[in-house]
Amino acid sequence: MLAQVSTATVLGVEAVPVRVEVDVAHGLPGLTIVGLAGGAVLEARERVRSAIRNSGFEVPPRRITVNLAPADLPKEGTAYDLAIAIGILAASGQLPHADGLSTSALLGELALDGGIRRLPGALALVDAARAAGLSEAIVARDAVGEAAAVRGIAVVGAATLREVIGHVSRTALLPVADPAPIPDVVPSDAPDLTEVIGQSVARRALEVALAGRHHCFLEGPPGTGKTLLLRAARGLLPPLDEGEAAEVSRIYSVAGLLDRAAPVRRERPVREPHHTVSAQALVGGGPRVRPGEASLAHRGLLILDELRHFRADALDALRQPLEAGSVTVARVEGAVTLPAAFQLLAAANACPCGWLRSDRRLCTCDDGAARRYAMRISGPLRDRIDLWVTMEQPASLLSEIDGRVPSRVVARRIAAARDRQLERQGLLNADVAAGRLLADDWLGRRAVHTLVREGERLLLSPRRLHRAARVARTIADLEGSVAADPAHVLEALHYRPGIDR
Amino acid sequence: MIGVGSRGPRGEEALDALAGGPASRAGRPIHAARASWHDLDLRAMDPFADRAAWVALSLVPGMGPASFAAALRAYGSARAALAAGPDLVPLIHRAPPDAAAHLRRQSGESVARTYAGVQRLLGACDGRVVTALDDEYPGTLAQLDPRPPVLYVRGASDALHATSIAVVGTRRASGYGRSAAIDIGDALARAGLVVLSGLALGIDGEAHRAAVEAGGRSVAVLPSPLDRVYPPRHRSLAAEIVAAGGALVSEVPPGAGVGRPDFARRNRLIAGLSAAVVVVEAPDRSGALLTASLALALGRELYAVPGPIDAAASSGCNRLIADQSATIVTSSGGLLQRLGIHLVPADRPVAALSEVEGLVLGSLLRRSASIEELMRLLKMPAGALASALTLLEARGLATSYGGATFHPTLLARGRGGGSRVADSA
Repeated sequence: MLAQVSTATVLGVEAVPVRVEVDVAHGLPGLTIVGLAGGAVLEARERVRSAIRNSGFEVPPRRITVNLAPADLPKEGTAYDLAIAIGILAASGQLPHADGLSTSALLGELALDGGIRRLPGALALVDAARAAGLSEAIVARDAVGEAAAVRGIAVVGAATLREVIGHVSRTALLPVADPAPIPDVVPSDAPDLTEVIGQSVARRALEVALAGRHHCFLEGPPGTGKTLLLRAARGLLPPLDEGEAAEVSRIYSVAGLLDRAAPVRRERPVREPHHTVSAQALVGGGPRVRPGEASLAHRGLLILDELRHFRADALDALRQPLEAGSVTVARVEGAVTLPAAFQLLAAANACPCGWLRSDRRLCTCDDGAARRYAMRISGPLRDRIDLWVTMEQPASLLSEIDGRVPSRVVARRIAAARDRQLERQGLLNADVAAGRLLADDWLGRRAVHTLVREGERLLLSPRRLHRAARVARTIADLEGSVAADPAHVLEALHYRPGIDR
Repeated sequence: MIGVGSRGPRGEEALDALAGGPASRAGRPIHAARASWHDLDLRAMDPFADRAAWVALSLVPGMGPASFAAALRAYGSARAALAAGPDLVPLIHRAPPDAAAHLRRQSGESVARTYAGVQRLLGACDGRVVTALDDEYPGTLAQLDPRPPVLYVRGASDALHATSIAVVGTRRASGYGRSAAIDIGDALARAGLVVLSGLALGIDGEAHRAAVEAGGRSVAVLPSPLDRVYPPRHRSLAAEIVAAGGALVSEVPPGAGVGRPDFARRNRLIAGLSAAVVVVEAPDRSGALLTASLALALGRELYAVPGPIDAAASSGCNRLIADQSATIVTSSGGLLQRLGIHLVPADRPVAALSEVEGLVLGSLLRRSASIEELMRLLKMPAGALASALTLLEARGLATSYGGATFHPTLLARGRGGGSRVADSA
């Protein structure tokens, strides 16, 4: 007799549905699992046998074949235990009324006593089941909180295999969990912009960067407020919208970083890895591909303070996500693409002592050392930075107290500018395709003319011009202009990388 | 007025004040009482016959200019001095252990061979030997005692004989210093003076380049041999200097490339070759201050560009001015006037600037400033100032040299140039 049960497994940060097909036939007694099953999956045989027996049922002494489909997808982990167990029981006729099985996803690992353990990435798995058109997901009881964050599918928590059996044979229905509430946005604990002294240019650049998801780099001597500005940035972004929240929650679910008490995220993720981070930890990877900091900062901020102290291979690995918004990790079995549409905010000293090109103090670095230090931000990485700000220590600590705009005002302007972009093109300006950038209806005829003419005079590369076009559009959006002015373009060009000497 | 050979406007007290300073660190007495070159009768020597011997003698290990003079005095000629073999060793100040062995090997043939080797190396880098016996030897060096017996020169010899003004300063120049060096280098070159400097990064390089770009002549005194231009990053600049009718000068023989660049000797030669020295930007303990004190000792006129009182990069210049060792330079025009030259100012460039851009440029021409400072001065938002500055940069009217402070360019000052913005890509 044949039975089919649905489950799902995690691949990269995405979950994919898996069909578990169980055939019980005459022949030599045994349990065979096929379909590119890895070591942990094969061990499911022993767990499933014990769990079934200890739940008061039996594994029929016949030839049992379990196929995990699609069969070409390599499978790892313990995600299939519950589905295999129920499939065996159904195929051996021990679940006579299990009509609900065709629309349920079974997501749990079995203990030998028949208990059900939670799977990592429960939220992502349930979401995959929903996307596959299933109407119900049965998960471990302690995973209900996380799983219930997914809407559009009934989430049922079960503690034991017996409970699941009762539920699917409609003898003892388990309650459907309430959907997890969408939490209020918690006020940010980020420092306020008013704490930064002076630095009007850096503030302005940061506002523009956040308004259009442009990558921004602050360079300057110590004590200019670089780090403080980066910290203040986390308090300036609007909360995640529903779609973004689902994407981010899936990634965090797979990474095991979801707050179980509040699985739905509203705050934009902010990741601030230390400069000793490895390339793999930064962009993801590993034998079982795990999301790195770049993916954990998806739809949020990746803050890299002291950018020039990061490992060269780690910075190199950032090139792809900076350009494409995703990371492709190649494996023998195939490539996995991790979402990584983060916004880079970085800061660094210009030289080892920090005072290169400052008017306030003398740089004490050897010229060669200073050059090598500058080159730690490679050409390709520099090319991908949209706004490059050279900072200087304020002349007076008391300067410009009146001119400082508080974070909440700036945050409002940023949110308004983002709304304008989403309304116009459904994307933030940073994500607009290059082909559209120089079209008259996007930037404006006069602005394009200025961009091309002045860009040529300043000997800028086409890539730099494209980046400036996006930044100029954002500056115009901050002002609420329909078309960008030449002045907006010129300001965008101001934030080009400085001289490398 | 430029007074070659005349004492500068300062008295001996200034010299004494500086005596404990960088000058003594050079380790070479400025007035070498012993072995003076002044009482040598160089005219009695034959520049052609003695040439090879002069080069060979100057290449003896440990042989400096003072020891060279002592050898000439003792033996009458370089050839005779070489013939003396190891007997020469006592005359060499701090002779290294291998000097005697080297001298033992000297014979008529080996002298010719040494000279041919030097000529071959010089040929490869387009250089030539100029000894103190040659007419080409710069007359300004006559006051230098001891003077280098042999110079290695590439480029036009008349650049070595024209009146040259040394423009020197720190390698770690600020935008302010670069801006001033370009202004001064350009003004001097346009006035027909040779801009002399040490080809170093920072101030030196900016002054050389400004002179070349103004269509003027420049002389670079190298701390390294001609076949190994130091710093390597200025090799193309060195070639441009030669191509523009200037020259490269070095005391270091070709083929000696593995040694450390000799900055002290380079600075001394700069002071010796120049009619006046302008220190553009120098922190305390800068090599440019050594050049300055040597220039004072030689009676050259000394000028210094002042910096803000809290600018470490200018503290050396400020001290020279405060000590009244140097005359203050308040503008390149003022400097030319002091040097006795009146330059007709060119017309201001007519550029199509908006009102904001005009205001910003006007402000920069009064005083270089960062956007932050311009905001306070002009009461305009950062964004508007950023766009105005981009336009000024694209027009070649302003530049920041990669820092936060913006400076007007030569073009903005109405004196051509303006091609320098190409750096900021």
